[in-house]
Amino acid sequence: MPSATLLAQSVLSGVFSGALYALMGLGISLAWGLLRVINLAHFAFVFLAGYLVYQCIGVSGWSPTLVVLLALPLFFVAGVALQWLFARFSVDEFGSLLVTFGLTIMIESLIQWIWTADVRRMETPLSTWSVKLGPIYVPVAESILLLVTLAVVVAAWAWLRHTYVGKALRASAQNPVIAAAFGVSHRRLAFLLSGVAAATGALAGVFVAVGSPISPSQMFGSLGVVLAAVILGGLGNPLGLLAASILIGIAEALTMALTAPSWAPLVSFSLLIFILVLRPDRV
Amino acid sequence: MLSLESIVAGYGDAVALSDVSLTIAAGELVAVVGANGAGKTTLVNVIARLLPMRAGRLTWEGADLGRLPPQALGERGIALIPEGRRLFGAMSVEENLDMGCYRRSARALREEGLERVYGMFPILRERRGQMAGTLSGGQQQMVAIGRALMARPRLLLIDEPSLGLAPSVVQQVFEVIRTVNAQGVSMLLIEQNVALALQVADRGYVLENGRIVAQASASALLERPDIRAAYLGGV
Amino acid sequence: MPVRPASGPRPPGRVVAAVAVFLALACLPLAQPPAFFESFLYLVFLWVALATSWTILSGYSGYFSFGHGAFFGVGVYTTATLVTAGEMPFLATLPLAGLASLLLGVGIGAVVFRVRRLRGELFALLTLAITFVLATIALNTPIDGGPGVFLSGVSMPRLYATPASTLYLMALLVAALALAIAWQLQYSRVGRALFAIADDEDVAEVMGVPTFSYKLRAIGISAGLAGVAGGMHALFVTYVTVSETFSITVPLYVVLMSVMGGMRRWYGPALGAIVVTALTYAFVGGEWALAGRALIGLTLILVILFLPQGFAGSIGAWRARWQPRAARSGAQLTPHGLSPSEAPATAQAEAAVARPSILSLNPPAAAASSSGALHAAEAPFLRCEAIHMAFKGVKALDGVSLEVHSGEILGLVGPNGSGKSTLVNVISGLLQPTAGQVLLDGEDLALLPAHRAARAGIARTYQIPRPFARLSVLENVALPAMFGGLQLAPAAALERAREALDFVGLLDRAADLPATLNLHQRKFLELARALAIRPRVVLLDEVLAGLTPAEIDSAIAMVRSIRDAGTTILFIEHNMRAVLALTDRLVVLNQGRVIAHGRPADVVREPQVIEAYLGTAAC
Repeated sequence: MPSATLLAQSVLSGVFSGALYALMGLGISLAWGLLRVINLAHFAFVFLAGYLVYQCIGVSGWSPTLVVLLALPLFFVAGVALQWLFARFSVDEFGSLLVTFGLTIMIESLIQWIWTADVRRMETPLSTWSVKLGPIYVPVAESILLLVTLAVVVAAWAWLRHTYVGKALRASAQNPVIAAAFGVSHRRLAFLLSGVAAATGALAGVFVAVGSPISPSQMFGSLGVVLAAVILGGLGNPLGLLAASILIGIAEALTMALTAPSWAPLVSFSLLIFILVLRPDRV
Repeated sequence: MLSLESIVAGYGDAVALSDVSLTIAAGELVAVVGANGAGKTTLVNVIARLLPMRAGRLTWEGADLGRLPPQALGERGIALIPEGRRLFGAMSVEENLDMGCYRRSARALREEGLERVYGMFPILRERRGQMAGTLSGGQQQMVAIGRALMARPRLLLIDEPSLGLAPSVVQQVFEVIRTVNAQGVSMLLIEQNVALALQVADRGYVLENGRIVAQASASALLERPDIRAAYLGGV
Repeated sequence: MPVRPASGPRPPGRVVAAVAVFLALACLPLAQPPAFFESFLYLVFLWVALATSWTILSGYSGYFSFGHGAFFGVGVYTTATLVTAGEMPFLATLPLAGLASLLLGVGIGAVVFRVRRLRGELFALLTLAITFVLATIALNTPIDGGPGVFLSGVSMPRLYATPASTLYLMALLVAALALAIAWQLQYSRVGRALFAIADDEDVAEVMGVPTFSYKLRAIGISAGLAGVAGGMHALFVTYVTVSETFSITVPLYVVLMSVMGGMRRWYGPALGAIVVTALTYAFVGGEWALAGRALIGLTLILVILFLPQGFAGSIGAWRARWQPRAARSGAQLTPHGLSPSEAPATAQAEAAVARPSILSLNPPAAAASSSGALHAAEAPFLRCEAIHMAFKGVKALDGVSLEVHSGEILGLVGPNGSGKSTLVNVISGLLQPTAGQVLLDGEDLALLPAHRAARAGIARTYQIPRPFARLSVLENVALPAMFGGLQLAPAAALERAREALDFVGLLDRAADLPATLNLHQRKFLELARALAIRPRVVLLDEVLAGLTPAEIDSAIAMVRSIRDAGTTILFIEHNMRAVLALTDRLVVLNQGRVIAHGRPADVVREPQVIEAYLGTAAC
């Protein structure tokens, strides 16, 4: 049995990886729940943003603030363009999954072409900086990630819950015809939401690049676990997503600590299977 | 106020309305009655611009509505209480009411509108945070009415408000319809419950197989033996 | 595009051609082609086999699997384990590899196919999750253990002189097997049933398809084929690792190939497999490989957006355009050169009603036993006994009992929401009542799956027609003839379907898709589907709603002629004129209860009926 300190350290690292899952999954959850679009290319957006951050900050040495300020609108536009494509060709849910898979392959090839398949590592002062709290080490970069994720998730929740636009989005997802009768233009809101979703993906990309070494093959590695969190949390439900992500993150971390790291995927995927079989209505 | 001239509409290649003309004057409550499948809901959907019409002319307060998207009707003072309520079931009662005042000019009047709706249906104030989909049928109908009233309409389109409701609730709903009408809101009431509809209405139209087959003051229609007979097959 | 309805005797020329191509390919190694060519073709055949296996489940039945990595992987590891640890001869492991995957597939299906919501993308995610679970287990147990399994010491069976040629031949055999099965299935009863399941599973079940067991068959065959391909591939790669085997590549590539090629035709996935494999192989090395991958992604996007039916679908559409229409439909019954879409269906229906051939619609026994008017004294042969149905606590049916007598038309009326449609769903087996019995000739059908009701001779129509959208009109009618009470072979079912279409006046539209019919014709298509099983009872759910007065008259005449031929009818309708014109007895439902029953003319005078319909003076 590992020591209490080790377990506490594991739980903490589980919370941090859960936060990253939540930030990566937010855009998928919103688009799936409110627009019925399954956007696999979201993972590609995250990694593309990660590589851009690596290039601009890590290699060219631009100011991080500037890079984030540029990346968010850039990916917002990409998200809008993607939604335009779906609307233009009236792509259904499964079609969106296939189209975005094709897009993912294209972006992955692009990344490999520019940055090769090798692992890239961005050295920043943040990467290794951690604070000791009692016996526990708290890494600073991950702590920032956690705070940003909390802020973004709560903001998304409040946006959907307490603004007219957010309520209109939810109403339109349930019944676009009746929502239209009350003045809601689904088309415009869909562009907005898709753009916002892609921008949150870019934000996740920043932390993917800062937190750890990055390689194109990780793109599919995170796919399963993030989708599990998205479904477990309830589609279009930011708070549920955050809770599910952190739960999965902790479960994975504890599995790694108590058994072998390679058993970790079993947790999230078994959970996903049970949810799908026992409570398919959640989705 | 509202006028329909020779409207033709349908789904796919099926014609659901042919050559329907109808008018509603300011403050008037007009009932359209008829059997299931006669085209009543189609008529509402055409006026609400949810279904395109193939021919005819639709005007409201002198302006042509025929080319407008459904989103534009709220600005012009038309609101819909759809058949079967069609609430946003996974949203709370109050959020459903908020959708009624989604339009910018209505948002300023939100608090006042909520007070009005909660005054009319006190039970909704108690249930304001509850998911609309978990309410009883009668309460759902109240939310649907409240949602439409939040839009401050000058014309209300009401589609089958009695559908699936217990008699006592139906009575309450119709009292509200009467009250709102007395406050000056024009109404188009679609009902399969002929007696009930004609009792509250000023005038009535009878729709059969997509055509208007009779129109008169409500009391006159109610007296006509053939109208009663038509719905129970010549008894 | 409808799938070709050619389920009669297959043109022998095609079989000969297929065998010839197979033999030619099998002899190819004798010409001693370069080794890279053989291994390229090996990969083509491998992907043809995998993509075709995917299509048998996902393309045919519409259950999109992302789990073919799991079925493939189980095959790979079964063979790898058996030839190394078990020291079995390689060829003997292949059937076992297939069997292991088949059992996995059937096991998954036995659980998952019971959950109604698990379709489409949810089924896809579930099977993907199963893949990752199996990968994790393999990685952490002695099955693999982490470092991978070497098969280098395993002796290669000597089918040809070189190992490359041997593998080539095996891959060819596996691909041919998969294609033969897919071909056979497409034109068999099973295939028809799977296509129907893909379009509308509930309707397929109600028409007599035992959907659960057919889906199990599909997933079993599909997984088994993928397993055999996996077992073979273990020897090809000689070094087996979890990350390569259970990777996301397999499911994604088979989906990609099948979608590109067209997944509702047996040869579609093979086309896709050839194109994709060739593209990957054409761009070997460095940056070109990346360009090849990007091109595959782009092709997938373009195919989804512009060719949603894939290459094969487009080929089919192109062929259909170039073949004269009459030759396809086999219907020369419109001598007046009217375009079928313009043909007045009402007139056809009236003509059909007048036709004497109607007696052939019903079993001779039934036709003889009842002569329409003389049914009053007969015992009830369909009885509903105290049926309760509650949805989440809301009572839709509250103790409904009614009897349908042999040979009569029983009317069922009631206001909206009174429970009529729920009752039809209970009798046709789609819903299982909370309590109560549905007795047909004394046998209780209430808790049996819906296909048992269809086999017992209960047919129904839908108020809003629910045709199988991607099957032709003829195939739509042939399906119940194959699976309802008659259980006909495909060729006989098509013949039967033509009779039923002729009866309702739709024979000249046999080759068209249901979407091209107007509402009136779609309602008659519903009727033809119900009649195709020679039903003992037909539940007609508002067949008249939405029809014009003239169409209503022709429909009334048709309903009467169905009864006169001996079929019992439960007639659910709002149109009182039709109800009074047609029914022998009338039952009135209100708020889930029977509030009146008896002779129609009496029933409509009862005060509680008038109240339920006209409404009381509420205010």
